[in-house]
Amino acid sequence: MTPTPHDTPHDPLPRIPLVWGPADYESVSAQISEITEKPQPYWWWPAFLISAALLCGGILAATYLISTGIGVWGSNVPVAWAFDITNFVFWIGIGHAGTLISAILFLFRQKWRTSINRFSEAMTIFAVICAGIYPGIHVGRFWYAWFMFPLPNANHIFQNFRSALLWDLFAVSTYFTISLIFWYVGLIPDLATLRDRAKSRTRQVIFGFLALGWRGSTRHWRHYEVAYLMFAGLSTPLVLSVHSVVSFDFATSLIPGWHTTIFPPYFVAGAIFGGFAMVLQCMIPARAVYKLENVVTIKHIDVMCKFILATGTIVGYAYCMELFIAWFSGNPYEWQTFKNRAFDGDYTWAYWVMMTCNLIIPQVFWFKWCRQTPWFVLIVVTFVNVGMWYERFVIIVQSLHHDFLPGSWGQFHPTWVDWLQMIGDFGLFFTFTLLFIRLLPMVAVAEVKGVLPMANPHYHYVPDGQYLKGENGEYPTADHALAAAMGPPSRPLTEVRSHPEPVPALVRTPGSDGTLWGAVAEFANGEQLLDAAKKTVAAGYGRVDAWTPFYVHGMKEAIGRTRSRLPLFTLAGGLTGLASAVTLVFYLMAYYYPTIVGGKEYRSWEAFVPVMFEMTILFAGLFTLFSLIGLCGLPKFFHPLDSHPTFNRSTQAGFFLSIEARDPKFSADETRAFLESIGGKHVAVVEA
Amino acid sequence: MPAIFSRALDGHVRQAGIGLVVAVVLVVVGWYYYALPSYTRVGYTPEQPVPFSHELHAGKLGMDCAYCHQSVFESPHATVPTSRTCMNCHDPKKANVKGNSPLLAPVRASVDTGKPVEWVRVHKLPEYSYFNHAVHVNKGVSCVSCHGQVNEMKVVRHDKELSMGWCLKCHNDPHEHLRPVSEVTNLTWKPAEGKTAHEIGAGLARDLKVKAPMNCQACHR
Repeated sequence: MTPTPHDTPHDPLPRIPLVWGPADYESVSAQISEITEKPQPYWWWPAFLISAALLCGGILAATYLISTGIGVWGSNVPVAWAFDITNFVFWIGIGHAGTLISAILFLFRQKWRTSINRFSEAMTIFAVICAGIYPGIHVGRFWYAWFMFPLPNANHIFQNFRSALLWDLFAVSTYFTISLIFWYVGLIPDLATLRDRAKSRTRQVIFGFLALGWRGSTRHWRHYEVAYLMFAGLSTPLVLSVHSVVSFDFATSLIPGWHTTIFPPYFVAGAIFGGFAMVLQCMIPARAVYKLENVVTIKHIDVMCKFILATGTIVGYAYCMELFIAWFSGNPYEWQTFKNRAFDGDYTWAYWVMMTCNLIIPQVFWFKWCRQTPWFVLIVVTFVNVGMWYERFVIIVQSLHHDFLPGSWGQFHPTWVDWLQMIGDFGLFFTFTLLFIRLLPMVAVAEVKGVLPMANPHYHYVPDGQYLKGENGEYPTADHALAAAMGPPSRPLTEVRSHPEPVPALVRTPGSDGTLWGAVAEFANGEQLLDAAKKTVAAGYGRVDAWTPFYVHGMKEAIGRTRSRLPLFTLAGGLTGLASAVTLVFYLMAYYYPTIVGGKEYRSWEAFVPVMFEMTILFAGLFTLFSLIGLCGLPKFFHPLDSHPTFNRSTQAGFFLSIEARDPKFSADETRAFLESIGGKHVAVVEA
Repeated sequence: MPAIFSRALDGHVRQAGIGLVVAVVLVVVGWYYYALPSYTRVGYTPEQPVPFSHELHAGKLGMDCAYCHQSVFESPHATVPTSRTCMNCHDPKKANVKGNSPLLAPVRASVDTGKPVEWVRVHKLPEYSYFNHAVHVNKGVSCVSCHGQVNEMKVVRHDKELSMGWCLKCHNDPHEHLRPVSEVTNLTWKPAEGKTAHEIGAGLARDLKVKAPMNCQACHR
């Protein structure tokens, strides 16, 4: 092993590991899984019951609205959009942090994302559900919600594909679908970990079904890693498109205060800003009560605060620029709206709440103490969440209440139904979040294992006293001292952990006809397994597979495989989606029921781009999911290897190598002896 | 560690998956067959208080539609005839065509009391759609286009979908359904030899200035 310049013993600036303290594969699996396995802390039930009660209030409000009519809300001309769309945009915005963390940071190889991506992705999904309620109920006649989708119907009428509201429908439903798939695909290895750790039959069956029969096969990891990259690549433009499209709902109209080209970037920055704030709002308490400080370190919080500072400043710049352009344009309608908004109107207070919470308060994050003190961060992000809600309130309600003609000016007064619905949304969000914490691993276990120092074959271990110190024996920064205080990292096991009972030479499987499936051996760590796999292939075996808790770098080449062909399916999906969208919109809008919108030609294509884009992404994502499942041969609930006494370690901390009996070179005795000769333990031949 | 699931489960799951796909396809196809007006409306044949036969009157006897539905050329409504119209022929004191038939008792009672016969309505458009009979027949759209071969119906049945999409098909391209205004109530009219309905319709559309509107407020006012 050649030491790289960064890892020499006298590195002047040693790299701080992403997980602090002595963590190994086993302890990470246990730490995260036990949260769902052990009884919850005393506060969980009260918190859950309060959230569920708020949720019931929201259900009550929605039921009253649907049964009585839209008039029970305070929205009325001129403020026809008020709390409903404010909440919709607020929640959609919250939903942006998850995908940013999971997709964009993945593409930029920001590995610190592994500690927080699962949690943020879950919040994305819950937030989009909270948002998705409003398009459903704000039309009043809930049972006609299907009118929003282009389904063939007896009326032969279809949606206006040049409408920003329809783009919004496509964007949000695509975003929800892709986020859900991304989240679930990320969960599969961890669900398998939970399945293999499960003691009760119920948990085994539930997680067994959800994990689809994932066992950490390298033949599966090979497709999985590429599929994950594809999802990240698809989600990155998608996440940017969603809030841009939401901003088009306003920007394509003519209302002063809405009709601005700055909206898309300003909304996207605001969404990331608010999303990070909400992630921290939920993550900081969860991190404290579940003692996750070694996985979600203070550096994670620090970096997220920097994101909040950066995006908050972009948003603040947009606020100032809107105001400046309103004055500088010389447009009297624009200027009177902004003058009313900022200086002399009925909603000036809301404007300054927004300015204070979003632009001014986050500036404290220039100071390190403010970024690294969790309770203080919690207070600041609370202000940010309030500020972001007010941002949408100001944009929507203030602009509508004061448009072109003084004759059409009017006030908005929320009713109790508005308030109950809004609070109910928070109830829904926290109910889902608490259930998620209770039932599913809130940290991506398999991914965190992959970034442990022990997973890096080039990691240079130094004597404990030297850990994270520079060549002068001092900690180069305060962060190094903080990380070092939690202890040096564990080293990988060099011996396979023993099993209480001896592993039989022939493992019998239930319902077998006596033919053999193959031979399997356990190894102590990834490096030994990689070495063994290379030797096995060199010895002439072809049907070799490695089974690992996370993807061990270089393993697919070691077992004689190449890069997965899965991207071809993704491409096919994207082209199918694009072709379907082109056919759909042109057939309907230019041929089937030609409609003139905004004085455009029937065939003018520019306004069809958002729908085409979203359908391209949607189909590419679905094809990726199905091709991943198909190429891996999942679901595969029964596998002969399951009967091997220690094989369930393959999703926790065990490393296995298997040779199938179909291999022409396979012979039970020789292959077993070969596996033992290259250092395999718990070697057994398994019945098919 | 023992296996969680049985060896047979994977096969069952795949079968169930195929079954689910088939079930979804069946539900969707079934929904589109049974929930559309082509199924829910077409074929509706209510029993009427008087077994009036259009087949006899409009078919065999060759009575003009407008003899009974007399305001069809002037009014948005084609109008159901009053009992007096029936009595033009069936009055025992006048022409006395089957004047004493027990089947006509409700009609005679209606004339005596002044209360109309309670005919069961067959064709009913939703209240949010505006339809004008006069405009259609005066532009050469025959009764048969919307009501079917009434001259062959013993009991009137709902023959066409009368859904919005069905209306739009003709509004989009009406030529096929136009005929000379004088032939509108002739339910057995056929285009003259050597000419297609489309050619005749194109000429009529020019002469009668047929411009079937495709905008929403034409029907939803």
